[in-house]
Amino acid sequence: MPGTAPRPGGRSGAPWLYLAPALVVLGGLLVYPIYQLGLISFLEYTQAQVSGGEPTTFQGFGNYAELFGDGEFWRVLLATVVFAAACVVSTLAVGCALAVLLTRVRAVPRLALMLAALGAWATPAVTGSTVWLLLFDPDFGPVNRMLGLGDHSWTYGRYSAFLLVLLEVVWCSFPFVMVTVYAGIRAVPAEVLEAAALDGASQWRIWRSVLAPMLRPILVVVTIQSVIWDFKVFTQIYVMTNGGGIAGQNLVLNVYAYQKAFASSQYSLGSAIGVVMLLILLAVTLVYLRLLRRQGEEL
Amino acid sequence: MKLPVRLAVLFTAMAAATACAPQTSGNSSSGKDEKTGTLRVWLFQEVNNKPKEQVVDAVLADFRKAHADTRVTVEYIPVETRAQRIKAAFNDPASAPDVIEYGNTDTAGYVKDGGLEDVTEEFGAWDEAKDADPTARQSVTVDGKVYGAPYFVGVRALYYRTDVFEELDLEVPRSMDELASTAKKVRAARPDLYGIAVGGAYTYGAMPFIWANGGALATGKSGSYASAIDSAAAQKGIKAYTSLFGDDNCPAAKCAGMGGNDTVTAFASGKAAMAIGGDFSHQAVEAGKAKGKYAVVPLPGVKPGSIAPAFAGGNNIGVLKSTSHRTLAVDLMKRLASKETQGELFDAMGFLPTFTDVRRQAAAKEPFVKPFVDTLAAGTEFVPASPAWAQIDSSLVLPTMFQEVVSGKKDVGAAAGDAARKMNEAFGSAG
Amino acid sequence: MNLPRARVRRPWRSAAEISALLIAVVVAFPLYWMVLSAFRPAGEIESSEPRPWTLSPSLDSFRRVFEQQEFGRYFLNSLLVASAVVVASALIAFLAATAVTRFRFRFRTTLLIMFLVAQMVPVEALTIPLFFLMRDFGQLNTLGSLILPHIAFSLPFAIWMLRGFVKAVPEALEEAAYIDGASRARFLWRILFPLVFPGLVATSVFSFISAWNDFLFAKSFIISDTSQSTLPMALLVFYKPDDPDWGGVMAASTVMTIPVLIFFVLVQRRLVSGLGGAVKD
Repeated sequence: MPGTAPRPGGRSGAPWLYLAPALVVLGGLLVYPIYQLGLISFLEYTQAQVSGGEPTTFQGFGNYAELFGDGEFWRVLLATVVFAAACVVSTLAVGCALAVLLTRVRAVPRLALMLAALGAWATPAVTGSTVWLLLFDPDFGPVNRMLGLGDHSWTYGRYSAFLLVLLEVVWCSFPFVMVTVYAGIRAVPAEVLEAAALDGASQWRIWRSVLAPMLRPILVVVTIQSVIWDFKVFTQIYVMTNGGGIAGQNLVLNVYAYQKAFASSQYSLGSAIGVVMLLILLAVTLVYLRLLRRQGEEL
Repeated sequence: MKLPVRLAVLFTAMAAATACAPQTSGNSSSGKDEKTGTLRVWLFQEVNNKPKEQVVDAVLADFRKAHADTRVTVEYIPVETRAQRIKAAFNDPASAPDVIEYGNTDTAGYVKDGGLEDVTEEFGAWDEAKDADPTARQSVTVDGKVYGAPYFVGVRALYYRTDVFEELDLEVPRSMDELASTAKKVRAARPDLYGIAVGGAYTYGAMPFIWANGGALATGKSGSYASAIDSAAAQKGIKAYTSLFGDDNCPAAKCAGMGGNDTVTAFASGKAAMAIGGDFSHQAVEAGKAKGKYAVVPLPGVKPGSIAPAFAGGNNIGVLKSTSHRTLAVDLMKRLASKETQGELFDAMGFLPTFTDVRRQAAAKEPFVKPFVDTLAAGTEFVPASPAWAQIDSSLVLPTMFQEVVSGKKDVGAAAGDAARKMNEAFGSAG
Repeated sequence: MNLPRARVRRPWRSAAEISALLIAVVVAFPLYWMVLSAFRPAGEIESSEPRPWTLSPSLDSFRRVFEQQEFGRYFLNSLLVASAVVVASALIAFLAATAVTRFRFRFRTTLLIMFLVAQMVPVEALTIPLFFLMRDFGQLNTLGSLILPHIAFSLPFAIWMLRGFVKAVPEALEEAAYIDGASRARFLWRILFPLVFPGLVATSVFSFISAWNDFLFAKSFIISDTSQSTLPMALLVFYKPDDPDWGGVMAASTVMTIPVLIFFVLVQRRLVSGLGGAVKD
């Protein structure tokens, strides 16, 4: 509904009045801390400075130079991007497939799947991570028994540990995609689908040429949300690989920043990593806005 | 404006802003010394904490009798999240406790953070203090000033299963080589057991191997440390320790991620024939399946019959700089760390007293303590007394090194070289 | 709305239904295992022959959870924090979403982009500055230190999601209301608010979950006053690295998950229509 006309009798101050509470809260609790974060990333800032034992000193890009000069940072960055991409793709694939499946079944199986998915969604990240660890425990987990893997340890190998975390992330984040896409499909007029079915189009074709284009705005939203969430994944890695895995092999940026800031008290390095993450996600946003523009949609 | 000019302006502005912007706590002494009110105490939560609580409660009852109009609240905080809690306390004097228990490896770091109160005078005037053993006294001292009272010493030795050794007809190992070969013999005969439970994240269990081989963590003294973890001797020790990981003793897939507590738990639950455990692990082992089927000897050194230098761990009681009840807090510190309390704590928890005379009495009463006292007598080592140590410890430099070797990601030389570089960075920035 | 849409042939439908049920079982299995482990008697979790049932269910683990010091207090604190966050962020987001969809003004697009960008901030990195902020306002050790940041972190997403919903209410309705002499406030709360309500429910789910499950802020800001602690902190007590009490962890997790599940089931229907409505333009 583009081009909404100005409200009759609307003073120009009205929108700002409505926005005021949101802006106050966001300004104080989000923008200001982000400003602090940026500032700290340019300082020498360790526990000694925090507790006032030593004065803070300005470092310029020193912290960034240290970060970019560290091979580990690049390794973690690469792992983060690949891992987040894998999570997003898997989550979307599973979520969309199950949403389509939901429209094909009667009430009872649909309710069963919906409830199971809501259960997974409702599970706190810490709890979910713990339960999955227990399921895959080498000594007393049922999964190794069922698959006959003996006491194979899933968290020892770098890739198997990432795989395990990926499974948990998909488990707890596909419900959002499934429910949203399902809601979107239900909003598609039935006649359109029936016409396509009568033309003898296959399921895949119906999805590709009818549903996907109509669902596009929804798909863009769930993709963007998934990217944002999966790129920032923290709890799962922290709990399941015990803070980053054997010799830090399963670190992702967010956990890496946390370890630098809180475990090692190198707040400035941790902040610099936070800023880098923010910039990467900003780049993703710009791509997204571009996409919207090209479709001629407006915000 | 051209870009460089703009950047320059930006930087000048930010440099000016640093004078006031990110907050520091101004963590100086409160200056107040109130004689009434509430004192807050944080002690560590032990595996089985009840007996410790009873000892502490008795101390507090006496304290309250001596000081009417005071209240004391005690909170037992988990050891593994202590760093965050205590840092937060340094940063917010309003919610900080008055008296804390802290690990002796943290002393230098906490002092540098400006969190601990200098109690040199009171400690010097305390008549019991003259019996404190020199190692323990060293662990509360930074640059000649005293920042607390030693609470107990923790030292590790070799636990082994007497029944398993008897069944397989094995001798108690007398050297590090024998330790490795004995462990492998056990594993070969009893594949359900680890020969010796070791952990890739068990720094304090691994250090004796480095020290016994003539290596050191760092050389130098306060203010100018340099890492020595990549020296030939230290590498020999690293090799000796990491060679214990593998299917012939403790499979890397299981053991690389284990820490000290995990190895003790493995031993206590009957999954290992040997483990390196502390005097403080006694209770946990007694509560497990290994009860009544184990004995303890000092960890052997390189030469047959020698004792490997152990890490002199332990905890202290200190007063926070931000306290507004200095006199009361110091009195409480002394009561919590007194000879009497330490004797009771030994009976209740098995914590080794820091006073030589109390320790002697304890050893006479409880033969279990002997191997630990022997280990102490044979000479102990300590981590570099540098504030950088807390950072090296908490950024997992050494566990990462061991894990890299154990999992085959790097060879000993490369892993030790990286660890040395990280340690030197920390020494460089923290002094 | 059970449409006989896209008629599927019978064998296909049976296959689809069977796979839906199977998938439901797989998805629910971790939850089942959690509840099962909570009911297992002592020692059975550590058995090397895990069975998917227990012959002698026991309440011991739950007893350990409930006997914890002030467990009820923690539960109430958590509930208080989560409800405060849900109500406050819903109201604030509703107003803000109305402003950005029903008005044209300068910086509107900029603001919208800011709301999107704000979602990307890694919360963990902001703990340090937030700690100092809370300290300077004397909010440490209070529930306020948990409520305020959670409102801030759930707002951008809530505003972003609610936009579509406010937009979907026809302009004509608003004009009609004014012609009938309704004041702006009356239109906002009596007409627009009920119409947008399903969307509010959908977004509330997100703010509820993030507030209810929070460890990070509770761990960082509640330093010395345990009476202000929340449920997740009570759960942490059972995570002893040397000897994790799996039964206790699972029982506490079950207790923590149930309120969210109830909340979800209650709003399930609105959630589906809400999410559909929020993203369609």
